[in-house]
Amino acid sequence: MNNMPHKCTKCGREYKDGSTEILKGCASCGGKKFLYVKETELNRDVLEEKSIDDIAQESREEILVISEPKTKQEVQMYDRVETIRIVAPGTYELNIEKMAQSDERIVSVGKEGSYIVDLMSMAKDEPKKKKGKRT
Amino acid sequence: MRIFYQTYGTAKKKFSNFLNRFFKKKRTRIGIYGPPNAGKTTLANRIARDWTGDAVGPVSEIPHETRRARKKEDIIISGANGSTITMDIVDTPGVTTKIDYHEFLEFGMEKDEAIIRAREATEGVAEAMHWLREDIDGVIYMLDSSLDPFMQVNIMMIGIIESRKLPVIIIANKIDLPDAVPARIRSAFPQHPVVAISGLDGRNVETLYETMLEYFG
Repeated sequence: MNNMPHKCTKCGREYKDGSTEILKGCASCGGKKFLYVKETELNRDVLEEKSIDDIAQESREEILVISEPKTKQEVQMYDRVETIRIVAPGTYELNIEKMAQSDERIVSVGKEGSYIVDLMSMAKDEPKKKKGKRT
Repeated sequence: MRIFYQTYGTAKKKFSNFLNRFFKKKRTRIGIYGPPNAGKTTLANRIARDWTGDAVGPVSEIPHETRRARKKEDIIISGANGSTITMDIVDTPGVTTKIDYHEFLEFGMEKDEAIIRAREATEGVAEAMHWLREDIDGVIYMLDSSLDPFMQVNIMMIGIIESRKLPVIIIANKIDLPDAVPARIRSAFPQHPVVAISGLDGRNVETLYETMLEYFG
Protein backbone atom coordinates (compact mmCIF):
# COMPACT_ATOMS: atom_id res chain seq x y z
CA MET A 1 0.00 0.00 0.00
CA ASN A 2 1.16 3.47 -0.82
CA ASN A 3 2.09 5.61 2.05
CA MET A 4 -0.26 8.57 1.85
CA PRO A 5 0.42 11.39 4.26
CA HIS A 6 -2.13 14.14 4.64
CA LYS A 7 -1.68 17.83 4.58
CA CYS A 8 -3.66 20.55 6.25
CA THR A 9 -5.44 22.50 3.52
CA LYS A 10 -5.07 25.73 5.47
CA CYS A 11 -1.41 25.85 6.42
CA GLY A 12 0.08 22.87 4.60
CA ARG A 13 1.42 21.09 7.67
CA GLU A 14 2.11 17.41 6.97
CA TYR A 15 0.84 14.50 9.00
CA LYS A 16 1.85 10.86 8.66
CA ASP A 17 -0.63 8.41 7.21
CA GLY A 18 -3.02 7.14 9.82
CA SER A 19 -2.09 9.82 12.29
CA THR A 20 -4.75 10.21 14.96
CA GLU A 21 -3.40 13.66 15.71
CA ILE A 22 -5.49 15.23 12.97
CA LEU A 23 -8.72 14.14 14.64
CA LYS A 24 -8.33 17.11 16.96
CA GLY A 25 -7.68 19.45 14.04
CA CYS A 26 -4.39 20.80 12.77
CA ALA A 27 -1.91 21.36 15.58
CA SER A 28 -0.50 24.46 13.89
CA CYS A 29 -3.53 26.37 12.68
CA GLY A 30 -6.52 24.46 14.03
CA GLY A 31 -7.74 23.68 10.51
CA LYS A 32 -10.28 20.92 10.14
CA LYS A 33 -9.71 19.97 6.50
CA PHE A 34 -6.99 17.61 5.30
CA LEU A 35 -5.96 16.21 1.95
CA TYR A 36 -4.30 12.91 1.14
CA VAL A 37 -1.20 13.62 -0.90
CA LYS A 38 1.09 11.15 -2.65
CA GLU A 39 4.45 11.06 -0.99
CA THR A 40 6.14 12.06 -4.24
CA GLU A 41 3.91 15.10 -4.50
CA LEU A 42 4.25 16.09 -0.90
CA ASN A 43 5.95 19.40 -1.64
CA ARG A 44 4.11 20.22 -4.83
CA ASP A 45 2.13 22.98 -3.22
CA VAL A 46 5.29 24.86 -2.28
CA LEU A 47 7.26 24.08 -5.44
CA GLU A 48 4.44 24.96 -7.82
CA GLU A 49 3.00 27.73 -5.64
CA LYS A 50 -0.42 26.13 -5.58
CA SER A 51 -2.94 25.99 -2.79
CA ILE A 52 -3.86 22.63 -1.35
CA ASP A 53 -7.35 23.13 -2.74
CA ASP A 54 -5.91 23.39 -6.27
CA ILE A 55 -3.98 20.18 -5.74
CA ALA A 56 -7.10 18.52 -4.42
CA GLN A 57 -8.92 19.45 -7.60
CA GLU A 58 -6.09 18.16 -9.78
CA SER A 59 -5.63 14.90 -7.93
CA ARG A 60 -9.41 14.44 -7.46
CA GLU A 61 -8.69 13.28 -3.95
CA GLU A 62 -11.42 14.04 -1.48
CA ILE A 63 -10.68 16.50 1.28
CA LEU A 64 -11.09 14.95 4.65
CA VAL A 65 -13.14 17.07 7.01
CA ILE A 66 -12.86 16.49 10.73
CA SER A 67 -16.24 16.87 12.34
CA GLU A 68 -16.29 18.44 15.74
CA PRO A 69 -17.38 16.15 18.52
CA LYS A 70 -20.64 17.25 20.12
CA THR A 71 -20.34 18.26 23.72
CA LYS A 72 -22.02 16.05 26.27
CA GLN A 73 -24.26 18.86 27.48
CA GLU A 74 -25.73 19.36 24.01
CA VAL A 75 -26.40 15.68 23.62
CA GLN A 76 -28.19 15.57 26.96
CA MET A 77 -30.32 18.61 26.35
CA TYR A 78 -31.24 18.70 22.72
CA ASP A 79 -30.30 15.59 20.83
CA ARG A 80 -32.17 13.17 22.97
CA VAL A 81 -35.68 12.44 21.88
CA GLU A 82 -36.52 9.91 24.53
CA THR A 83 -38.28 11.00 27.69
CA ILE A 84 -36.42 8.40 29.71
CA ARG A 85 -33.04 7.00 28.82
CA ILE A 86 -32.15 3.81 30.60
CA VAL A 87 -28.42 3.95 31.23
CA ALA A 88 -28.41 0.70 33.19
CA PRO A 89 -30.97 -1.06 35.37
CA GLY A 90 -31.58 1.34 38.23
CA THR A 91 -29.91 4.28 36.45
CA TYR A 92 -32.08 6.59 34.41
CA GLU A 93 -31.74 9.91 32.66
CA LEU A 94 -34.94 11.87 32.49
CA ASN A 95 -35.77 14.52 29.95
CA ILE A 96 -38.27 16.58 31.89
CA GLU A 97 -38.70 19.18 29.14
CA LYS A 98 -39.69 16.42 26.77
CA MET A 99 -42.01 14.98 29.41
CA ALA A 100 -43.68 18.36 29.77
CA GLN A 101 -44.29 18.58 26.03
CA SER A 102 -45.08 15.10 24.86
CA ASP A 103 -48.51 13.58 24.96
CA GLU A 104 -47.33 10.18 26.02
CA ARG A 105 -47.76 9.10 29.55
CA ILE A 106 -45.35 6.64 31.00
CA VAL A 107 -47.06 4.34 33.43
CA SER A 108 -44.29 1.98 34.32
CA VAL A 109 -40.63 1.35 33.72
CA GLY A 110 -40.09 -2.35 33.08
CA LYS A 111 -37.48 -4.54 34.68
CA GLU A 112 -35.67 -5.33 31.46
CA GLY A 113 -35.04 -1.71 30.66
CA SER A 114 -38.25 -1.07 28.80
CA TYR A 115 -41.03 1.27 29.59
CA ILE A 116 -44.75 1.13 29.04
CA VAL A 117 -46.51 4.09 27.59
CA ASP A 118 -50.15 4.76 28.30
CA LEU A 119 -51.70 5.02 24.85
CA MET A 120 -55.12 5.89 26.17
CA SER A 121 -53.98 9.22 27.53
CA MET A 122 -52.26 10.06 24.25
CA ALA A 123 -55.57 9.89 22.45
CA LYS A 124 -57.19 12.25 24.87
CA ASP A 125 -57.94 15.86 23.97
CA GLU A 126 -55.95 18.72 25.41
CA PRO A 127 -57.58 19.74 28.67
CA LYS A 128 -59.18 23.15 28.66
CA LYS A 129 -57.44 25.37 31.14
CA LYS A 130 -59.48 27.95 32.94
CA LYS A 131 -59.04 31.39 31.51
CA GLY A 132 -58.61 34.72 33.18
CA LYS A 133 -56.41 33.36 35.90
CA ARG A 134 -54.32 35.70 37.91
CA THR A 135 -50.62 35.22 37.51
CA MET B 1 -57.40 -5.59 32.74
CA ARG B 2 -55.30 -2.46 32.88
CA ILE B 3 -57.33 -0.92 30.08
CA PHE B 4 -60.52 -1.75 31.94
CA TYR B 5 -59.31 0.07 35.03
CA GLN B 6 -58.15 3.03 32.97
CA THR B 7 -61.50 3.28 31.23
CA TYR B 8 -63.24 2.91 34.56
CA GLY B 9 -60.98 5.58 36.05
CA THR B 10 -61.64 7.98 33.17
CA ALA B 11 -65.38 7.44 33.44
CA LYS B 12 -65.24 8.02 37.18
CA LYS B 13 -63.26 11.20 36.70
CA LYS B 14 -65.66 12.47 34.06
CA PHE B 15 -68.59 11.76 36.32
CA SER B 16 -67.06 13.57 39.24
CA ASN B 17 -66.15 16.50 36.95
CA PHE B 18 -69.79 16.59 35.89
CA LEU B 19 -70.96 16.59 39.49
CA ASN B 20 -68.51 19.33 40.38
CA ARG B 21 -69.72 21.46 37.51
CA PHE B 22 -73.31 20.81 38.48
CA PHE B 23 -72.77 21.99 42.02
CA LYS B 24 -70.48 24.80 40.83
CA LYS B 25 -67.88 23.78 43.29
CA LYS B 26 -64.83 25.95 42.90
CA ARG B 27 -61.73 24.05 43.67
CA THR B 28 -58.13 24.88 42.94
CA ARG B 29 -55.64 22.11 42.49
CA ILE B 30 -52.21 23.07 43.76
CA GLY B 31 -49.18 20.95 42.94
CA ILE B 32 -46.16 20.97 45.21
CA TYR B 33 -43.15 20.54 42.96
CA GLY B 34 -39.41 20.72 43.46
CA PRO B 35 -36.21 18.68 43.47
CA PRO B 36 -35.94 15.60 45.71
CA ASN B 37 -35.48 16.26 49.42
CA ALA B 38 -36.66 19.87 49.28
CA GLY B 39 -39.34 19.12 51.89
CA LYS B 40 -42.42 18.81 49.70
CA THR B 41 -44.10 16.08 51.75
CA THR B 42 -43.21 17.80 55.01
CA LEU B 43 -45.02 20.91 53.77
CA ALA B 44 -47.95 18.91 52.36
CA ASN B 45 -48.30 17.21 55.74
CA ARG B 46 -48.13 20.55 57.54
CA ILE B 47 -50.79 22.12 55.33
CA ALA B 48 -53.02 19.05 55.70
CA ARG B 49 -52.50 18.91 59.48
CA ASP B 50 -53.06 22.63 59.97
CA TRP B 51 -56.34 22.68 58.05
CA THR B 52 -57.75 19.15 58.19
CA GLY B 53 -55.89 17.31 60.93
CA ASP B 54 -54.64 14.53 58.62
CA ALA B 55 -51.28 13.78 57.07
CA VAL B 56 -50.46 13.16 53.41
CA GLY B 57 -47.55 10.76 53.41
CA PRO B 58 -44.36 9.54 55.07
CA VAL B 59 -41.17 11.62 55.12
CA SER B 60 -37.57 10.48 55.02
CA GLU B 61 -34.07 11.84 54.57
CA ILE B 62 -33.46 9.43 51.68
CA PRO B 63 -34.28 11.14 48.37
CA HIS B 64 -37.33 9.95 46.41
CA GLU B 65 -39.35 8.86 49.43
CA THR B 66 -42.46 10.05 47.57
CA ARG B 67 -42.66 8.05 44.37
CA ARG B 68 -46.35 8.41 43.59
CA ALA B 69 -48.20 11.71 43.51
CA ARG B 70 -50.45 11.94 46.56
CA LYS B 71 -53.51 14.09 46.73
CA LYS B 72 -55.27 15.61 49.69
CA GLU B 73 -58.64 16.98 48.71
CA ASP B 74 -60.85 19.77 49.98
CA ILE B 75 -58.43 21.67 52.11
CA ILE B 76 -60.04 24.96 53.07
CA ILE B 77 -57.57 27.68 53.90
CA SER B 78 -58.81 30.90 55.44
CA GLY B 79 -56.94 34.14 55.79
CA ALA B 80 -56.83 36.92 58.35
CA ASN B 81 -59.33 39.01 56.37
CA GLY B 82 -61.86 36.16 56.28
CA SER B 83 -61.26 35.10 52.65
CA THR B 84 -61.11 31.37 51.99
CA ILE B 85 -60.12 28.99 49.21
CA THR B 86 -60.84 25.32 48.78
CA MET B 87 -57.95 23.45 47.30
CA ASP B 88 -56.62 20.03 46.56
CA ILE B 89 -52.98 19.67 47.42
CA VAL B 90 -50.97 17.32 45.21
CA ASP B 91 -47.68 16.23 46.72
CA THR B 92 -45.46 15.11 43.83
CA PRO B 93 -42.30 13.01 43.57
CA GLY B 94 -39.10 15.07 43.36
CA VAL B 95 -38.29 16.06 39.81
CA THR B 96 -34.75 15.46 38.67
CA THR B 97 -32.90 14.74 35.43
CA LYS B 98 -30.97 11.74 36.67
CA ILE B 99 -31.85 8.92 39.02
CA ASP B 100 -29.16 6.45 39.97
CA TYR B 101 -29.71 3.66 42.47
CA HIS B 102 -26.11 4.01 43.76
CA GLU B 103 -27.29 7.16 45.51
CA PHE B 104 -29.57 5.07 47.74
CA LEU B 105 -26.85 2.56 48.63
CA GLU B 106 -25.17 5.29 50.67
CA PHE B 107 -28.19 5.24 52.96
CA GLY B 108 -27.57 1.58 53.71
CA MET B 109 -30.16 0.26 51.28
CA GLU B 110 -29.74 -3.16 49.63
CA LYS B 111 -28.95 -3.15 45.91
CA ASP B 112 -32.22 -4.81 44.82
CA GLU B 113 -34.27 -2.47 46.94
CA ALA B 114 -32.33 0.54 45.64
CA ILE B 115 -32.91 -0.46 42.00
CA ILE B 116 -36.64 -0.80 42.63
CA ARG B 117 -36.64 2.59 44.34
CA ALA B 118 -34.87 4.14 41.34
CA ARG B 119 -37.37 2.61 38.94
CA GLU B 120 -40.33 3.77 40.98
CA ALA B 121 -38.82 7.24 41.32
CA THR B 122 -38.43 7.44 37.53
CA GLU B 123 -42.07 6.52 37.07
CA GLY B 124 -42.90 9.07 39.75
CA VAL B 125 -41.21 11.89 37.84
CA ALA B 126 -43.12 10.94 34.69
CA GLU B 127 -46.32 10.98 36.74
CA ALA B 128 -45.52 14.36 38.30
CA MET B 129 -44.92 15.84 34.84
CA HIS B 130 -48.17 14.32 33.64
CA TRP B 131 -50.06 16.03 36.46
CA LEU B 132 -48.43 19.32 35.56
CA ARG B 133 -49.68 18.98 31.99
CA GLU B 134 -53.24 18.10 32.84
CA ASP B 135 -54.57 18.78 36.26
CA ILE B 136 -52.75 21.55 38.05
CA ASP B 137 -54.07 25.11 38.52
CA GLY B 138 -51.20 26.51 40.55
CA VAL B 139 -47.74 25.48 41.69
CA ILE B 140 -45.83 25.68 44.92
CA TYR B 141 -42.18 25.22 43.96
CA MET B 142 -40.10 24.06 46.91
CA LEU B 143 -36.40 24.74 47.25
CA ASP B 144 -33.93 23.97 49.99
CA SER B 145 -32.49 27.36 51.09
CA SER B 146 -29.20 25.77 52.06
CA LEU B 147 -28.55 24.67 48.47
CA ASP B 148 -27.73 26.48 45.23
CA PRO B 149 -31.02 27.45 43.56
CA PHE B 150 -29.40 27.68 40.10
CA MET B 151 -29.62 23.98 39.43
CA GLN B 152 -30.51 23.11 35.87
CA VAL B 153 -33.64 21.25 36.91
CA ASN B 154 -35.00 24.28 38.80
CA ILE B 155 -34.46 26.65 35.90
CA MET B 156 -36.10 24.14 33.55
CA MET B 157 -39.07 23.47 35.82
CA ILE B 158 -39.76 27.16 36.48
CA GLY B 159 -39.55 27.70 32.70
CA ILE B 160 -42.04 24.90 32.05
CA ILE B 161 -44.42 26.24 34.73
CA GLU B 162 -44.15 29.76 33.28
CA SER B 163 -44.81 28.48 29.75
CA ARG B 164 -48.03 26.88 31.03
CA LYS B 165 -48.98 30.26 32.54
CA LEU B 166 -49.59 28.72 35.95
CA PRO B 167 -49.37 30.93 39.03
CA VAL B 168 -46.37 29.91 41.11
CA ILE B 169 -45.17 30.58 44.63
CA ILE B 170 -41.55 29.69 45.31
CA ILE B 171 -40.73 28.47 48.78
CA ALA B 172 -37.31 28.92 50.32
CA ASN B 173 -37.62 26.02 52.73
CA LYS B 174 -35.46 24.78 55.60
CA ILE B 175 -34.73 28.24 57.06
CA ASP B 176 -34.18 26.40 60.34
CA LEU B 177 -30.84 25.17 58.96
CA PRO B 178 -27.81 27.29 59.98
CA ASP B 179 -26.51 27.60 56.39
CA ALA B 180 -29.86 28.57 54.87
CA VAL B 181 -29.67 31.59 52.53
CA PRO B 182 -33.25 32.34 51.38
CA ALA B 183 -32.06 35.64 49.83
CA ARG B 184 -30.19 33.61 47.20
CA ILE B 185 -33.50 32.09 46.06
CA ARG B 186 -35.14 35.54 45.99
CA SER B 187 -32.44 36.88 43.71
CA ALA B 188 -32.58 33.76 41.51
CA PHE B 189 -36.31 34.11 40.80
CA PRO B 190 -37.21 37.80 41.17
CA GLN B 191 -40.22 37.39 38.86
CA HIS B 192 -42.13 35.24 41.38
CA PRO B 193 -43.21 35.59 44.99
CA VAL B 194 -40.73 33.86 47.31
CA VAL B 195 -41.73 32.86 50.84
CA ALA B 196 -39.07 31.71 53.30
CA ILE B 197 -40.37 29.06 55.68
CA SER B 198 -39.42 26.06 57.74
CA GLY B 199 -41.79 23.24 56.92
CA LEU B 200 -40.25 21.31 59.79
CA ASP B 201 -40.84 23.75 62.69
CA GLY B 202 -43.60 25.76 61.02
CA ARG B 203 -41.76 29.06 60.99
CA ASN B 204 -43.48 31.64 58.74
CA VAL B 205 -46.09 29.24 57.30
CA GLU B 206 -48.79 31.83 58.11
CA THR B 207 -47.18 34.11 55.54
CA LEU B 208 -47.30 31.26 53.05
CA TYR B 209 -51.04 30.74 53.65
CA GLU B 210 -51.69 34.45 53.09
CA THR B 211 -49.61 34.36 49.89
CA MET B 212 -51.53 31.29 48.71
CA LEU B 213 -54.84 33.09 49.26
CA GLU B 214 -53.51 36.04 47.32
CA TYR B 215 -52.10 34.12 44.35
CA PHE B 216 -54.31 31.04 44.09
CA GLY B 217 -57.60 32.48 45.35
